[in-house]
Amino acid sequence: MMPFDMRPDAVMQELTAYGQKLSHGMKNLMEVGEISTGVTPKTVIYQEDKLTLFRFNPSAEKVANKTPLLIVYALVNRPYMADIQENRSTVKALMDAGQDVYLIDWGYPDRADRYLTLDDYINGYLDRCVDVICERHRIDKINILGICQGGTFSLCYSALHPEKVKNLVTMVTPVDFQTPDNMLSHWVQQVDIDLAVDTMGNVPGEMLNWTFLNLKPYQLMGQKYLGLLDTLDDPEALKNFLRMEKWIFDSPDQAGEAFRQFIKDFYQQNKLLKGGLEIGDPVNLKNVNMPVLNVFAEQDHLVPPDASRAMRGKLGTKDYTELSFPGGHIGIYVSGKAQKTVPPAIGKWLDERS
Amino acid sequence: MSNSNDWTESWMNSQQNYWKAWADMAQRGMKAPEAPKNPFADGLAQWWQSVSPMAPPTGRDAFDKLMDVSKNYFSMAERFMSGAQAKPDGGMEAINSWLDGMQKTWSDWSQMGNAFRPEGMFSKDQFKGMSTFLDLPMDTWNRMAANVMPMPGDYTHAFQHNNNQPMQEQISKFLSVPAVGYSRESQEQYQILAQRQMDYMAATQAYQVAFGKLGMESTKGFQAALQDRMKEGKPISSLRELYDQWVEMSEAAYAEFVMTEEYQTLYGRLVNTLLALKQQMARMVDQTLEAMNMPTHAEISTLQCRQQELRRDNLKLHKELKAIQAQLEAMRQSMLKAQAVPKAAAPAAKAEPAKAAPTETVAAKPAAKAAAPKPAAAKAAAKPAAAKPVATKTK
Repeated sequence: MMPFDMRPDAVMQELTAYGQKLSHGMKNLMEVGEISTGVTPKTVIYQEDKLTLFRFNPSAEKVANKTPLLIVYALVNRPYMADIQENRSTVKALMDAGQDVYLIDWGYPDRADRYLTLDDYINGYLDRCVDVICERHRIDKINILGICQGGTFSLCYSALHPEKVKNLVTMVTPVDFQTPDNMLSHWVQQVDIDLAVDTMGNVPGEMLNWTFLNLKPYQLMGQKYLGLLDTLDDPEALKNFLRMEKWIFDSPDQAGEAFRQFIKDFYQQNKLLKGGLEIGDPVNLKNVNMPVLNVFAEQDHLVPPDASRAMRGKLGTKDYTELSFPGGHIGIYVSGKAQKTVPPAIGKWLDERS
Repeated sequence: MSNSNDWTESWMNSQQNYWKAWADMAQRGMKAPEAPKNPFADGLAQWWQSVSPMAPPTGRDAFDKLMDVSKNYFSMAERFMSGAQAKPDGGMEAINSWLDGMQKTWSDWSQMGNAFRPEGMFSKDQFKGMSTFLDLPMDTWNRMAANVMPMPGDYTHAFQHNNNQPMQEQISKFLSVPAVGYSRESQEQYQILAQRQMDYMAATQAYQVAFGKLGMESTKGFQAALQDRMKEGKPISSLRELYDQWVEMSEAAYAEFVMTEEYQTLYGRLVNTLLALKQQMARMVDQTLEAMNMPTHAEISTLQCRQQELRRDNLKLHKELKAIQAQLEAMRQSMLKAQAVPKAAAPAAKAEPAKAAPTETVAAKPAAKAAAPKPAAAKAAAKPAAAKPVATKTK
């Protein structure tokens, strides 16, 4: 038995078919039009600097939970991942599950934002958004759902302001930043972050893109585009691919000081877990005394499951639940399976604690 | 678009005819005419050149990347087919010789440590396709580095040098000679710049050498995977399968390598030396700006820092003021309530003057109680004022 069973004429056919797909794909590309993202109708509630707080327009008959839910997204990438298209929208699925959903869009920091710190983001912007929602609903506390880095921010916020958080949901949120399988953490240990921030001011989104692509370079920079070839003849699939592509490369620059503290305190010194973290005041995870739902993805290559599971036993709450999803960091928001299981489970968990 | 489609069809037909004729001859055991170097890849490049101006901005980037990958893919296919040509064993011998050659080249690369770019190294078309593929991380690094530098990307390439250790040491010594004279400071800055340039090139070189080793590991892994397939009776039956197998083995070798201490050091050094170089460039640009009496980056940065501090203080004061206003409002309401009660009680006091004093006392109690807020009320008062209209804006 030979390792190859490739006849020349078959190879020729394969290459010809490849060319045909490219040609037809080009035609579809010409007709693809504008790629829409962030599809669920929403209203601007509050704006400050680059930040915008949105409320997704609720339908009266659907809102079952009177406590609003604030989604806190990461500073890295854009929050429309949670609402990327009609049939792949965590936001819409949460609304269908009876939640009144708000979302923070941090915007695109520019050089004037270079000195924004984590204190400014968490005790400033985030806290003011929570206050605005509380005032609107005449309540003292709200539900918070933090995604990825936004989950870490939400956890810190809940530790610093437990009186304002009724329930906390974290999705693919790192708590232990130094698990042995964490590539990002491994790479950044010898990077001189002070030099980086002092030199560049804000950290370019492009640099982060390079880092993320290097997690799986041959798949993400090569094989993925051959996969695109298989979808070129399907205009809808092509649109979906381009939508995801748009999101992947839509990386805001990172405000320098916030980036400095995030990398040094979290990735290099693991202070959230080990202690010693200060964001305005000391952050003590034992102050997180509200119910917590920790959702993570089993095949997450950015935030390994163990990085999230580390939350267990470290919080002050007695009501701690884990929800594991058999998928990846992005799949947990956009896959069909996730749409059917994750948001309904979050909605149910919140309703039981409303 | 119709024109481009016609062109495409014609191009594909010619390709198809070429390969058909070639395959027929190969099947009959005839000696095929010498193939053009990269007929598919070159044709594809020509096609994309002609149609890309018509491509809409939406998806243009993704399509560009698809074309890059396609060119590599076609090169790989052509390489494979050329190797398999007239080989009765299904090309195994050719593939083995090809992989051995590639492994040797990676080995030479990692041992010599030359700061070659792979495109130069593989310019003889020997391993085109695979090598470009393996160089993806370095290629994207170079693009990214070019974008964050004040100088064009080619600038750093211009400083490439051979891995001649004694020569490097001599240059370093020369650069550390103390500057003298009227232009001493300026000279020093240029010396620092040159040294940092050399540091960055050395780091880039070390990173590339490491990827040479990685290439060897990937090739070994690929060969082992082929052996496994042979044993399992699962031969590779298409180019796509060949490519996917290559990706899988490369990714596996890469994942292992990048979690080593060695890679951590290489990565840190690559990033840090680039930043140090950029920092020195920025410093020298600032000096020029200062000489021209223009605002420097450092000055603007200082102003931004102060402005952010002021803003932070301002927001804090704003919050405290809001809380004080809320407390005052609560007290005012309490006092109004307290004033309202004695007025209501006044007629009774007139009718029964003897009981006036106790009535006042009774009325004063709730007022006093209301004026001193409970902990909960104080907490509420400390909160920002009541709900605002739908759109609140703070600038």
